Amino acid sequence: MVEARPVAEAPAPRKRRHLLLALGVVMLVTMLLVTAFGPWIAPYDAIATSPNSLAGPSAEHWLGTDSIGRDVLSRLIIGGRTTLLITFVAVSLAVAAGLVLGLVSGYVGGLADELIMRALDIVFAFPVFLLAIAVVAALGPTVPNLILTIAIVYTPIMARVVRAPVLSVKRWDHVEAARSVGVGELRIAIVHVLPMVVSPILVQTSLTLANTIFTVTALSFLGIGPPPPDPNWGGMLSEARQFMELAPLTVIGPAAAIVFATLTFIVLANGLRDLLDVGSH
Amino acid sequence: MTRIVLVRLAWMLPILFGVSVVAFALMRALPGDFAQAAAGTTDLSPEALDTIRRGLGLDKPIWAQYLLWLGGLASGDFGSSFVTHKPVLGELLPRLAVTAELTLMAGAMAMVLGVFTGLASARLRGRTDWFVRGFNGLLLAVPNFVVATLIVLLAGLYFPELGIFNYTPFFTDPLGNLGSMLLPAFALALAVSVTISENTRAAVLEVSSQDFVMVARAKGLRPGAILRNYLVRNALTPVITVTGLQLASLLGGSILIETIFTIPGMGQYLFDSITSRDYPVIQAIVLVAAVIVLLVNVLVDVAYARVDARVSYG
Amino acid sequence: MATSDKPLLQVQRLSAQFTRDGVVSQVVKGISFDIAAGEAVGFVGESGCGKSVTARAMMRLAPEGSSVELGGEVRFDGQDLLQLREADMCNIRGQRIAMVFQDPMTSLNPVLSVGAQIDDIVSRHTGMSRAQARRRTVELLGLVGIRDAARRADDFPHQFSGGMRQRVLIAIAVSCQPELLIADEPTTALDVTVQAQILRLLLRLRQELGMALMLITHDFGVIAGMVERVYVMLDGQIVESGAVDDIFARPQHDYTRALLDAVPRLESAGRTRS
Repeated sequence: MVEARPVAEAPAPRKRRHLLLALGVVMLVTMLLVTAFGPWIAPYDAIATSPNSLAGPSAEHWLGTDSIGRDVLSRLIIGGRTTLLITFVAVSLAVAAGLVLGLVSGYVGGLADELIMRALDIVFAFPVFLLAIAVVAALGPTVPNLILTIAIVYTPIMARVVRAPVLSVKRWDHVEAARSVGVGELRIAIVHVLPMVVSPILVQTSLTLANTIFTVTALSFLGIGPPPPDPNWGGMLSEARQFMELAPLTVIGPAAAIVFATLTFIVLANGLRDLLDVGSH
Repeated sequence: MTRIVLVRLAWMLPILFGVSVVAFALMRALPGDFAQAAAGTTDLSPEALDTIRRGLGLDKPIWAQYLLWLGGLASGDFGSSFVTHKPVLGELLPRLAVTAELTLMAGAMAMVLGVFTGLASARLRGRTDWFVRGFNGLLLAVPNFVVATLIVLLAGLYFPELGIFNYTPFFTDPLGNLGSMLLPAFALALAVSVTISENTRAAVLEVSSQDFVMVARAKGLRPGAILRNYLVRNALTPVITVTGLQLASLLGGSILIETIFTIPGMGQYLFDSITSRDYPVIQAIVLVAAVIVLLVNVLVDVAYARVDARVSYG
Repeated sequence: MATSDKPLLQVQRLSAQFTRDGVVSQVVKGISFDIAAGEAVGFVGESGCGKSVTARAMMRLAPEGSSVELGGEVRFDGQDLLQLREADMCNIRGQRIAMVFQDPMTSLNPVLSVGAQIDDIVSRHTGMSRAQARRRTVELLGLVGIRDAARRADDFPHQFSGGMRQRVLIAIAVSCQPELLIADEPTTALDVTVQAQILRLLLRLRQELGMALMLITHDFGVIAGMVERVYVMLDGQIVESGAVDDIFARPQHDYTRALLDAVPRLESAGRTRS
């Protein structure tokens, strides 16, 4: 699992700060463009079978074909769409929920804080993946359920990341001063608290995106991801296992796609961290 | 000291309670009929279905069902499998043992690998540091099931005589068992070793800059002695606690690894039960996993508090 | 103790340069001084003047992870320490030159008993067995005024107060009867009442063991009654030096005057007696 770095380190030299972030952005844009225009750039129909099964790389099939003759490259491109869609939507939900819960919990404090944190601790107590499996098993593996599950599973960490700076900002002298002069709480929240939350949230979001790619592809690897016939990377990897010595690309293709997507978000996270100089929790 | 333990345990109780509620609710939140799933077939008369329902206590109010279930847990009754109709606990325990073995092996490997690379990274710096950190970064991007699948692919292509899918139970053939667990444990360990490596590196760097290390050098102690007694001993405590906290990740990962290497552990059992809709089993596994993670977290907290006392009194 | 006209320690044009993130800073700018065998010398100056860096440079103890360039000569008993191999320097540290640092709260390893931290330096520089080393440790703890030494040797640093910890650190420093003891702000982090005790301890040990003492401080009040000669440092250079009485009576440099003025009158009045 991808986690935040344990100790705050000295800020990276200027050039390197922007390099990582730039690289991450390039990777992200590439991925988004390819998957967005997928149906138009994919050479074949992703679910069309053909008698040409387990073919190696060739001019017609850049990455070969799988056991029932489907073009690997096309499946990778189309498969990315569902994976990325679930990932982005789910994480957005988690961020939104985490923001609300974290702000309320940190700002209001007291009993509300205790209750919210305890509730989140309960979710936190389950190994992420186990919980995801259980919830999907209970609700059924449809795309909306997957999105919901992942949002639930990653909300606690988001809430925590939001709550921490809120707690510390609340006690700042100039915030107290503002309050004593009569500045409204909402205004304080927006002007003072929100900016402090942005940096850690951005970094954590990237990390969570990376982790979500893992969770989504792992779930589909186990067969409880997005239902067929739409291709997805995890499912492709799993199906490929049967004949993998005959056509290694059926394994390497999805593996590379998964790694690329995960790497994109990790690089983004590190780039953001270097740029924003965020120590970790 | 005992006070710390009691406090931590007390903190754990409401969470345990919540965990049990969630585990219970998960399986009751199903679309479709629980009783029908228990029966395993839709071809039943309404009377037969009713009998099953009553047998499972489904006619009682939901909170009563929860209490019944909880009471059953206390006496070791985790329900009966919908598939085998045998008590879940009996089916679960041997598989839990297998997963425990896998997890422990993976944890040990991860520690060895992680501490070694982290130490090298922190002490040697320069190119070694770059290499280790770069490699770690890359490794983070490769999920454990991808690693495992690639390992199986490589083995199949270049080392066909290795015989990957030949798990043997421990008591039948201890050495064979350990041998068959090596690669799976390794696949599981890799991702965790990255976290341990980063933490070790950070801890060693932090400790190196402490005054007492400078004093140790001023004493003229040899570098080896300083490394052992001053650096590692202080750096290792946070590292061990972090490793303990990785347990959750290891347990989650074991599902995938067991499936890929066909190891009959708890993870594979979970997967099978999902496929066969064996809800009591799913429920039990989720609960057991969460409880184990909680217990380990508490243990780790306590262990750290004990060592921390020495460090923080100053 | 070695008796010869040559000073025990002779430092010529010592310079220390730090490079961090491409920025070079000259912390010590070519200073020269010497210390005779058994002599007590004070180094006075405000924080940042380079006095601590000088001491660490002499011992070749660069802070972890920073690169420092040293220039000049540090002749200890004829040998230039700056040219020694690290392995040889290791033999000198703790055994012939020892150091006491400023903050006793962070200078002891929290996970080892104080006894173990004296045992290790004793066994490192002598051939003693564990039992012998432990006997010596207990003896040392008694020497620095720790009561119930045998039992307390097994206690951990967090079970000692700041003043007691500094005594332990002094015990560590004098354990192998070094020829030169460098004390870098040994009382700065301690309570005022404890400061006097520690200074008295250092004085007594110096007399009993005949060590040379290099006492580094920012406080002239600490110097009085402890040393025979004084060097005043400012911004990496030595701006004045002389016998302690002369400096007190007739300070030449403006900066020296400023430092002397900073000492509370009452204290110095009681202290100018040796």
